[in-house]
Amino acid sequence: MTARLGCEDLGIGVGLRVPHYGYVFENRPPIDFFEVISENFMISGGKPLDNLGRALDHYPVVQHGVSLNIGGPEPIDREYLTRLKQLVRRTNTPWVSDHFCWCGAGGAHLHDLLPLPYTEAAIARVAERAKMIQDFLEVPFALENTSSYLTYNASQVSEWQFVSEVVERADVGLMFDVNNVFVSAYNHGFDAYEFIHGIPHERIVQIHLAGHTNVGTHIIDTHSGSVADPVWDLYRETIELAGPVSTLVEWDDEIPDFPVLLAEAERARTVRDRAIAARDERVAQGGSPAPTRTKSLVPEPTGVTASDGAGWVQGGPREHATV
Amino acid sequence: MSDAELTALQERITELLREPRALSKNDQAVALAELHISGNDRLAPVEQLNIYREQFWLRHTSALVEDFPGLGGVLGQRDWERLVEAYLLKEAPTSWTLNDLGHAFVEHVEQQASWLPHAKLCLDMARVEWGYCQLFSAPDVPALDGGKIAAIPEHAWPTATLVLSPALRRFQVDYPVCELRKAIVKSRDTGETVPIPQPDPHNLVLYRNDRRLFFERVSDAAYALLQRLDDGEPLEEACGSVASEIPGAADEVEANVAAWFQRWGAETWVVDVRTR
Repeated sequence: MTARLGCEDLGIGVGLRVPHYGYVFENRPPIDFFEVISENFMISGGKPLDNLGRALDHYPVVQHGVSLNIGGPEPIDREYLTRLKQLVRRTNTPWVSDHFCWCGAGGAHLHDLLPLPYTEAAIARVAERAKMIQDFLEVPFALENTSSYLTYNASQVSEWQFVSEVVERADVGLMFDVNNVFVSAYNHGFDAYEFIHGIPHERIVQIHLAGHTNVGTHIIDTHSGSVADPVWDLYRETIELAGPVSTLVEWDDEIPDFPVLLAEAERARTVRDRAIAARDERVAQGGSPAPTRTKSLVPEPTGVTASDGAGWVQGGPREHATV
Repeated sequence: MSDAELTALQERITELLREPRALSKNDQAVALAELHISGNDRLAPVEQLNIYREQFWLRHTSALVEDFPGLGGVLGQRDWERLVEAYLLKEAPTSWTLNDLGHAFVEHVEQQASWLPHAKLCLDMARVEWGYCQLFSAPDVPALDGGKIAAIPEHAWPTATLVLSPALRRFQVDYPVCELRKAIVKSRDTGETVPIPQPDPHNLVLYRNDRRLFFERVSDAAYALLQRLDDGEPLEEACGSVASEIPGAADEVEANVAAWFQRWGAETWVVDVRTR
């Protein structure tokens, strides 16, 4: 396998969101790439596609989906895939990603990222479809580890074993969300560093960073607020293990002015640069590029976040008709 | 867990997540959660499942609020929630895009009319607001080609058919819904109370031009002509039908048809002319 399925390092990006259009198009801020939610642009015409075109005029754009339903009972929606491929041709995205999840059953679509049981049946179902999707789209396809709020008694392996087995079997990429590792580690009591060390790093095509909301009993992946300090530590470790990987900061709830988001992206750049330097230093001294696992983190309750995290939507506000 | 067992579990969970009330009071949900979901020392299995149920309702009610702000404003919080809950219970979202969520909402409002205050206004508002949703992402088509129009010989015009934009919708409404909708949306910032308007029957055209959405009132004759053109009637035949069927329309059509055509082309209502 070619490392990262041949996907190049784009640097540091942020999600392209409706409240930032004006600033971005007027100021063309120094960001390496934007990520868009695919479904917002899988339409026939109108303002969203116009805005997408304006972004494409000046920046690389990568596509990230939220509605594929790869783990659901029904076959993958062919009309969805066709529209997705049309958008791939429009954006020239270097890769396409979605989630290790299911979104509904019995014909219903819940517009959520529901976790799968980590079983052989689920691995087989997702891996077979992921391979088919990548072949159909004709660009590298990656799946993202989700934040989850429940686990199943039927699970036979850990989440990182599940993730690893699927991407290896399907020969697809891994969209690695470091914040999701932290969120799920808190919610389910596992060691976040064990997860990070347990995945195939050469398959990571992109990394996601985001803020979250701690409601005490559990953490919700709201993409709200700054990236938490322990998540920055996990990110540093991930980069030391994987090397330079395109990294994206997501901020979808209580979205700040663009310069605030840009500052968060610059922090990611600094952390990434230092991690790469540490990795290079180890190699220069004749060691392995990857650090051995010395850290451990099973997040403990440390207080709640002010926001309740209710009603957030991945990808931020929808594009919808306002007059 | 086999693939068939996984499917069965997913189908059952999907049903439960559409329940409008907390799952902790639902014995079947508690039993299923105890059997399949791990739980932890902070949350019981059914409480973990209920996190997803809450998100289902928040996400979908928010999407409907975005798509039907005028209707929500007319109804007020309590009746709006009753209407939306009944809709989401009856109509499971089936599309991968939330843009389709309101596809059957107009029909639902019609069916619920018996208890809705201002039922006729609500139905007008629902129809128009769904129209806005459809226009928002309707296909892009090139504007009318001036060169092509200029090249059409005079004798070809009577049998020419006009192609209307896919980003245009026509309505006959009993209330000034577009003006009301604007006032309701604005009132979210100002906090002003928006009164329910008096009936004001009129013909309405919603359209998209240069990425923006507009509304415009049109006369009975212009509305009827647009309808006939949309049905594919040739220009001369359509004008004749309207002139003969609508009292007083003959003079209006004759006096205005050239100006209408010019304006409809400029505003991208008409996007092509086909000659035989």
